[in-house]
Amino acid sequence: MAYSIKDLCIGCEVCKRLCPVDAIYGEKENVQKIDETLCIDCGACGKICPKGAIYDNFGVQCEIVNRSKWDRPQFDLSKCTACLSCVDICPVQCLHVPDIEENEHERLLPYLPESNTCIGCGFCELKCPVEAITMVSA
Amino acid sequence: MGKGYMGKLLIVDLSTKEFLEEEIPDKVYEEYLSGTGLGAYYLYHKIPVNADPLGPDNYIGFMSGLLTGTGSLFTGRWMVVGKSPLTGTWGDANCGGNFSPAIKQCGYDGILFKGISEKPVYLYIDAKTMELRDAADVWGTDAVEAEQMLIKRYSQKGKTPRVACIGQAGENCSLISGVCNDRGRIAARSGLGAVMGSKKLKALVLNGNKPIVPHNYDEMKRLSKTCNRWVNFQPPFVTGPATAYVGKLMRFLPHQLIMDGMLYKIFLRKWGTVSMNQLSVEIGDSPIKNWDGSSADWPVSHSKIVNPDVFTDCEIVKYHCYSCPLGCGGICSISGKFEETHKPEYETVICLGALCMNKDPDSIFYMNELLNRAGMDTISAGHTLAFAIECYENGIITKDDTDGIELTWGNTDAMIAMLQMMIDRKGIGDILADGVRVASHKIGKGTEKFAIHAGGQEPAAHDGRGDPGFAIHYSVEPTPGRHTIGAYLYYEMFQLWKKIKTLPVPKILYHKDTKYTVDDEKIHMAASCSKYMNIINGVGACMFGAFLGSTRTPLFDWLNAATGWNKTPEEIMEIGQRIQTIKQEFNVKHGIEPKNIKMPSRTIGHPLQTKGANKGRSVNLDRLMSEYWQYFGWDTETGKPTMETKQKLGIN
Repeated sequence: MAYSIKDLCIGCEVCKRLCPVDAIYGEKENVQKIDETLCIDCGACGKICPKGAIYDNFGVQCEIVNRSKWDRPQFDLSKCTACLSCVDICPVQCLHVPDIEENEHERLLPYLPESNTCIGCGFCELKCPVEAITMVSA
Repeated sequence: MGKGYMGKLLIVDLSTKEFLEEEIPDKVYEEYLSGTGLGAYYLYHKIPVNADPLGPDNYIGFMSGLLTGTGSLFTGRWMVVGKSPLTGTWGDANCGGNFSPAIKQCGYDGILFKGISEKPVYLYIDAKTMELRDAADVWGTDAVEAEQMLIKRYSQKGKTPRVACIGQAGENCSLISGVCNDRGRIAARSGLGAVMGSKKLKALVLNGNKPIVPHNYDEMKRLSKTCNRWVNFQPPFVTGPATAYVGKLMRFLPHQLIMDGMLYKIFLRKWGTVSMNQLSVEIGDSPIKNWDGSSADWPVSHSKIVNPDVFTDCEIVKYHCYSCPLGCGGICSISGKFEETHKPEYETVICLGALCMNKDPDSIFYMNELLNRAGMDTISAGHTLAFAIECYENGIITKDDTDGIELTWGNTDAMIAMLQMMIDRKGIGDILADGVRVASHKIGKGTEKFAIHAGGQEPAAHDGRGDPGFAIHYSVEPTPGRHTIGAYLYYEMFQLWKKIKTLPVPKILYHKDTKYTVDDEKIHMAASCSKYMNIINGVGACMFGAFLGSTRTPLFDWLNAATGWNKTPEEIMEIGQRIQTIKQEFNVKHGIEPKNIKMPSRTIGHPLQTKGANKGRSVNLDRLMSEYWQYFGWDTETGKPTMETKQKLGIN
C-alpha cells in the first residue's frame, strides 16, 4: 500500500516538489496522483500538504505539520557502530559522513549537516540496528 | 510485514537486450535462502551442460543476501555467481562495501545476465528506468576510475548510485579477475570478472529505493543490540610487533587452546586481517616461497616489515562495510602513483610478500592498489608470480621469455613489472594472466609441480600443514581452493555446538598432534563449516562476524525474525547441506570429477618439511576427502552426490 491523494487536493504541487522519489504526478491546479510503484511511504507529502488531502498507507488522513516542527534524527554516537545503514537508507541523502581528510574520529560517523534538508521520514531511526538514532521534534 | 527478501530475480539477456522479471516462490527461499544458495538453485537449472564459461550460455549473477538491509549486523555482503572459467566448476565470490543493499533496493534479490553484448555496455537501474547503456567511454578504465565516472554521472539529489564493475583484467578476460565495488574492493575468486568481460558488461549502476522490510523489526534490533555489545568489548592488547612472539610461543608449546572468536575480533577491530601477518607465519599458517619454504625461511627479521602496526600507522580512517559494526577495513595513505588504497588484507600481504620472498612493504601497498584497480585477484596473482619465479629460478623460463625481466625470488621491481604485463596481457603476462594451471599447461616442461592450485583455483595463504581443515576444504568444496569456508580453527570460533547439541565440542586444551588424526569428529567439524558457510553466504553475512560465535552473532535467530520462519538451527543447517549438494551436483553435471580436485602433494607434507613450524607435518587428505563425501551422502569413491541424497534434499 502506498500513500494516496483525495479530492481535497488543489494541485499546488508542494508535495510533488518535496517527494524524494518523484512519485507524484498530475497537472497544476488539478488533483495530483501518487504512483504506488514508486512511493516509498516516507510521509513527507502528508505532512506538507496544506489541505490535508493526503492519506497514508493505512488509509488514515495525514496530519499537517509545520516543517520547522518535523522530527529530525538525533544521534547517540556512543551507541553508533559506524555501519552507515542510516546514510544508505536516507531517501534525500541529508545524512553525511565527513570527508576522510577532515574526519576527527577513528571511524566515519554520520551527522545531519542541515536540518532543513531532512524530510523527517524516520527511515534512519528504523534502520539503525542498535537504536543509536532517535527522531526528535525541533 | 515483510519477509526480508524481495521475492524476484531480474534476468537480462545481453544478446537480445531483453529484461525478464522472475518471481521466486517462497518455498525456494525456505530451501535455498537467497545469495549464493538462490544463485546455485537457479543456475543449476539454467546453465546448459558443457556451457563455455566465457560463452553466451553462461550466466553471471549478482546476488544480495537474505538478511541484507533487514536491521541485522554483519550482513552487507553481495555475491557474484556463475560457472567459473578458472576451474570449470560452480563459481562464486563475495565482497563487502555498500553494493549489496543496492541490489535489493532495485526490487530484486539478484540480477543475472546471460548472452553476450555486441559492444561494451553497463546496466543502469533507478526507480523509473532499467536499461543497458553504451559503455564505450568507460571501457578501458580501471575499476576505481570507472566507478567514479559512473557515480558522478548518475548522482542526483537524494541518491548516489552504487556501482560494481570490472577493471582491465576483467575486460581482458583474465581468468584470475574479479568484480569490484567501493573503490577497489573485489569479489575476486573463481575468475568471474572474466565472465563479465566476455559478456562485454562493464558495470552495474544501481540507484533504486525500494524498501527492504523484515518480518519483525523489533526482534531484529533486539538481537542486533545484544550482538553489538560483544563487538564493543575491546580491551587494549599487545603491540603489532609483539604478535610475532605470541605466534612463536604458540608454535613451541605442544598444546593448543581452543580459539574463541572474541580474541580474533579484538585483533580485527584493532588492525584488520593484517593482524595475522607475523603470527600466522610463526604458527605455520602462512605458505612461504611458493609453499616450498617454511617459517625458517621467513623469520621475524623478515616478517617484521609487515607487522600489523605498519598498516594502522598509515591508516587514515577505519572502513566499515554496510551494516558492519566491526570495521576491519581501512583507507591507507600511500606514496607514489596512488594516494590511497584500501588496507591490504592478510592474504594479499602474504601472497605478494612471503610467498614470493618479497621484503619491500611499500611494494605490497602499491601492488594491492594496482590489482584492486585492474580487478585482479591478489591471491591468485601472488601465486602466479611465485609460480613464474620458481620456473625462472629453475631455468625453465628465461630472460628471453620475460622480456628481460629478472624474475628471481624477492625481486620487487620484477614482480611489479610482471604484474603489469599480466594485467595488459603482454608477453609472458598473457599466459600468466590465466592463473597457474593454465600457465603450467602452456609452459609444460614439468612446471606442473610448481603450480599450486586445487582444480585450477590458487589456494589462499593458509597452510593445511598447520591446520588440516584448510587442506580439506581446499580440496572438497564445489568452489575449490577456498579459504573462507572452513578449518578446524573456524569450527572452534563458529561455536555451532552451542546451538546444535549433537555437534562435537572441541576440547579446551588439546595436543597439536591430534589435529592430524582422522576421526569422525574432524569430519563433523568440516561438514558443519561447509553447511554454515552456505547459510552465511545465503544471508549475505560476513565470516568475520560469524567468528564471534553462533550465540553472539545470532544468524539463526535473525533469519527467523527477518522471514517469520520458525526453523530450528538443525533445519537451517540442512539448508546449508542442500546448497552444498546442489553446487556439487552442478559440478558433476558439467563434467567435473571431484576426486581430481586435490591440493598438490607439496602443500600437504609430501615430502615432509625438515624445518620450520610445519616440520614433519602431513595430512591424510585422501581419507579426509572420502569421509567428508560420505558424511554429505556423496559417493565415497567419486565424491558425486548419490541419488538417495538428492531425493532426500529435493534436488532434481
